[in-house]
Amino acid sequence: MNFKLSEEHELIRASVREFCEKYVDPIAELTDNEPKFPAETVKRMAEQDLLGIPYPQEYGGAGSDYLSYTIVVEELSRACATTGFTLEVHSSLACFPLYKFGTEEQKMKYLVPLCKGEMLGAFALTEPGAGTDAAASTTIAVQDGDHYVLNGGKIFISNAPVAGVIIVFAMTDKSKGTKGISAFIVPGGTPGLVIGKHLNKMGIRGALTSEVLLKDCRIPKENLLGGEGQGFKIAMMTLDGGRIGIAAQALGIAQAALDESIRYSKDRIQFGKPIATFQAIQWMIADMATAVEASRFLTYHAAWCYDQGLPYSKEAAMAKLFASEAATYQTNRAVQVHGGIGFIKGTKAERLYRDAKITEIYEGTNEVMRMVISGNVLR
Amino acid sequence: MLKTIACFKWVIDDADIRIDAASRKLILDRAGYKISAYDRNAIEEAIRLQERHGGTVAAITVAPPAAKACLKDALSRGPDTACFINDAAFADLAPVQTATLLAAAIRGGIEYDLIICGEGSGDLYSQQVGPALAELLEIPCVTFVNRITCADGVMTADRKLEDGIETVSVRLPALVTILPDINTPRIPTLKQVLGAAKKPVQNLAIDALCGVCDPRLETAGITAATMDRKQVRFGADADGIRAAVGALLREGVIA
Repeated sequence: MNFKLSEEHELIRASVREFCEKYVDPIAELTDNEPKFPAETVKRMAEQDLLGIPYPQEYGGAGSDYLSYTIVVEELSRACATTGFTLEVHSSLACFPLYKFGTEEQKMKYLVPLCKGEMLGAFALTEPGAGTDAAASTTIAVQDGDHYVLNGGKIFISNAPVAGVIIVFAMTDKSKGTKGISAFIVPGGTPGLVIGKHLNKMGIRGALTSEVLLKDCRIPKENLLGGEGQGFKIAMMTLDGGRIGIAAQALGIAQAALDESIRYSKDRIQFGKPIATFQAIQWMIADMATAVEASRFLTYHAAWCYDQGLPYSKEAAMAKLFASEAATYQTNRAVQVHGGIGFIKGTKAERLYRDAKITEIYEGTNEVMRMVISGNVLR
Repeated sequence: MLKTIACFKWVIDDADIRIDAASRKLILDRAGYKISAYDRNAIEEAIRLQERHGGTVAAITVAPPAAKACLKDALSRGPDTACFINDAAFADLAPVQTATLLAAAIRGGIEYDLIICGEGSGDLYSQQVGPALAELLEIPCVTFVNRITCADGVMTADRKLEDGIETVSVRLPALVTILPDINTPRIPTLKQVLGAAKKPVQNLAIDALCGVCDPRLETAGITAATMDRKQVRFGADADGIRAAVGALLREGVIA
């Protein structure tokens, strides 16, 4: 058993940390407060080979592993959760299904520019009436000669307004329930693909999240991803891996909450002493540090399972469940350590508190995580 | 085509140093290491010269074997090869010993037109290794450099001195010690980090070079410097501001 990261992983962390100090930290508050999508940072991330980390170089990726990707999402999220999440959606939700289920032609046409960072990707599964219950989807795809015609509406689709390609899920046979769902590669700008209302979020405010409407959106037949009826399987496998990314995001947020609490409690003087010398604060920080470490082990272990080709569905669900709950609870504690100033805009703890909550919800709610875990351990 | 050697030192990351409040002793048990700050500029400058003139860049260091991680770090920043002169006895070398080892390794078979060193290391900052190495190799040495150009076998360099900039030209081969404002080191890309493991590393042991390396330096103790504040209070009214400006003038903070 080896708990030590390789020299490469340590170097990747060091270089991303430096990248964050230079380019991400300085604009993180503005990204949240305006809110403003960090487009310039995404370009710089592409120059650093960060947009296709775990995918092979022949597809434009960096040819690294999932653990490297996990470390990068963690470090980016530690500086700015919006930035970490933008990479996560692109990499886990758009690149992954293309890599895993795409034909060689589809990979060359779409995965290569995504991994090179020439465009961003998005993933459109959720609908107003179909969240966890994907079978309730009302978006339909009807074959018409060499095309499919897509009609329907999606919601909470991140990266959609800037996406060069969106993986869209639609019913090709409603009577089959989840087995009637298919996945389609929809290039940005396709006539009939309408980016709807921008959603004003509580946290990760710089991320572009919106409605996506499909109005007689004609997609060539060759843009069907996998076979007809494989959409649900594709979505579930994609979200399985995505959960490692969300766990990494939550981990980064929790680490930042710990960093901020340590820094502030050493600086803040009350009763003539730094508040870090009071046991009430020390205990909160001890719990925080322990939760961060446990989140990290679960998250890295899930990524390691993925890299080893081992089953990782349960491990990813556990990492996402634990790390996201740790992030929401510990960012709450970080605000408590800060006292009144922690409630004021411009204090990082305040931003972290809002950014953390969504990690309990997206890419499978924590209730679904518990279903996945119990389904695994009770069988 | 320019053959450049960039020298670097693996030093304790000062961001990781903790201080025991009572004894002022440094707590280093969890400290990581990094390439000394100015040496990152040295590697970066070597790569920039390579981008302009072609040629090769070799990175070279003297360190204990435990510092092996420095090689991938250095190579991820662009050099084609690395030379690792290592021995367990190299923990506390005097600058002249480091220079002697570097000179022996370079004479042993590393071709060069230009050797670039940081002006001083991030830990001891003795500023001796560069000039001593030039002396041992019997080549010209230019210190305090913040701009380099090379053409037709001649290097022209700007030296940033206290009272101005001195521009000098020397025929290559030569050695420069550089200041941090010469460039801003780029952050290695992910592919550069992954590619570092595939680059050749030459391992050199002490007996292959110049024989014994008796310890000459002994660190008897290190304690953190303390800065006592004067704790003078100024008001925010006109008199207070005048008093604050006067105090800053007296201290020489502003002129």
